[in-house]
Amino acid sequence: MYFYQDPEFGERMITLMAALVLVLQIAMVGQRYLVTNIRVFAAQSFLLAGIATTIAYFNKAPHIYFAAALTFVVKVVFLPWFMERLVAKVEIRQEIEPLINVPLSVLISGCLTIVGYVVAESFYHPEAGITAATLGHNTLAVAIALFLIGFFMMINRRKAVTQVLALLSLENGLFLAAISLTYGMPLIVELGVFFDLLVATMVLGILVYRIRETFDSMDVSKLRRLRG
Amino acid sequence: MTSILLSAALQLLFVLMLAPLVSGVIKTLKARLQMRLGPGIFQPYRDLYKLLRKGMVIPETASWIFSAAPLVVFSTATLVGLMIPMISAEAPLSLFGGVLAVVYLLGLGRFFLALGGLDTGSSFGGLGSSREMTISALAEPAMMLAIFTVALSANSTNLSEVARSAIGQSWRFLAPSQMLAFAALFVVLIAETGRIPVDNPATHLELTMIHEAMILEYSGPYLALIEWGAWIKQLILMTLLINSFYPFGLSTDLSPAGVAVGLGSYLLKLVLLSSLIVLVETTNAKMRLFRVPELLAVAFILGALALISTFLF
Repeated sequence: MYFYQDPEFGERMITLMAALVLVLQIAMVGQRYLVTNIRVFAAQSFLLAGIATTIAYFNKAPHIYFAAALTFVVKVVFLPWFMERLVAKVEIRQEIEPLINVPLSVLISGCLTIVGYVVAESFYHPEAGITAATLGHNTLAVAIALFLIGFFMMINRRKAVTQVLALLSLENGLFLAAISLTYGMPLIVELGVFFDLLVATMVLGILVYRIRETFDSMDVSKLRRLRG
Repeated sequence: MTSILLSAALQLLFVLMLAPLVSGVIKTLKARLQMRLGPGIFQPYRDLYKLLRKGMVIPETASWIFSAAPLVVFSTATLVGLMIPMISAEAPLSLFGGVLAVVYLLGLGRFFLALGGLDTGSSFGGLGSSREMTISALAEPAMMLAIFTVALSANSTNLSEVARSAIGQSWRFLAPSQMLAFAALFVVLIAETGRIPVDNPATHLELTMIHEAMILEYSGPYLALIEWGAWIKQLILMTLLINSFYPFGLSTDLSPAGVAVGLGSYLLKLVLLSSLIVLVETTNAKMRLFRVPELLAVAFILGALALISTFLF
């Protein structure tokens, strides 16, 4: 048997890629430049597509290939391109100004990762002897960590574009959880999620443009001025 | 007994001779990547030869610490060079101490270098020393966490033991904890050897310099010893990174064939790691000094996650 048919090899690759996804998420918290942040998101999505392909290959689940291809097209190619264009168009400052300073944010993300692991631990029942349960163990922890860090990033950032980015990385966590636990949701659900994401980003993009037009800034905290 | 002495002598020679070459290779690779011709890979040897023949200017305000610092830096680095496995998993002095001794002997060298920078009372030296200490204080926790990760999976802090156990587990280098620890230790390597996102090794005409500011008052043979010590330290950190995470080809005995394979794969891995360093140096701009703690905080978190994930995965 070749090594690329060995399920253990597949499992190790998935765990490794999941760990890299987590590293990229923390890098996103630590990175100040907006364009780099978008590219890190693209790299993270690319790894997610890789995880989906690996799962599809080793578990003989061809419909996951479709989800992987969709992830690649939408999250690796289209959304980063769209957002970089948006950033260039609204001519904003390239630096993200988080509310909490970077070293502390990174430390908080580390703590959130531990929370993710502690939560995932309670779902782990190796005595049940189902391979899916043991496979999902690591990736579920990473997915919960991605989810929590995504929430934290949304709270921590002021500008609309960066919040959209945080939302997208949060959605990456959801995708990872779904694909690693259930080997993919039904195709119609996947399609719905992707369409939702696409439309949400487009709408937010237009909204960002409008906010910028009206307030000369993308700082969402300025929206409070609308109160009568 | 004689075989230990022989291997110690060989490794000593190897460490002393290879360290300048690695530095030269990194410089040349970097120049080529930036479409420059570069000085050639043997330039560090020429620099050493030139510096060792020159006279010295010792500042009037300097005390004995100024003269002691280069000797301490050079001798601790050389001693540590004998304590880590390079070509063979058996390091000549591995019984004298494990990875903790390695880290803190290098720390002793750094301490004396900082004292030497302060000793002359020049403002640049003090500035360099204070910066060096700030950065190393932040890099040390990240380094220790990454090293504990490796030590935990080998159940030993002895580096020869670590290398042997890493050879035994063929898939271990793919484990997430190892990757995270590698990333953390790589950032520490960049910070400790004064490479680009943290410090610029190519200049001593910048207000942001760190290492160069400390050794600004040194000249002649003392400068040669400090530079040589710094190159050896760089080689040691690179070897630590290579042999505890990717020990392919490392020979477990001292047979000629095993040593030849070990030497070949070791040099290949050194070139690969050098290329990675060059790539990072060329694609990044130097960070503002106040941003460096952010980078090291990321390294610290990576190290902490690596340590945690050895228990969980």
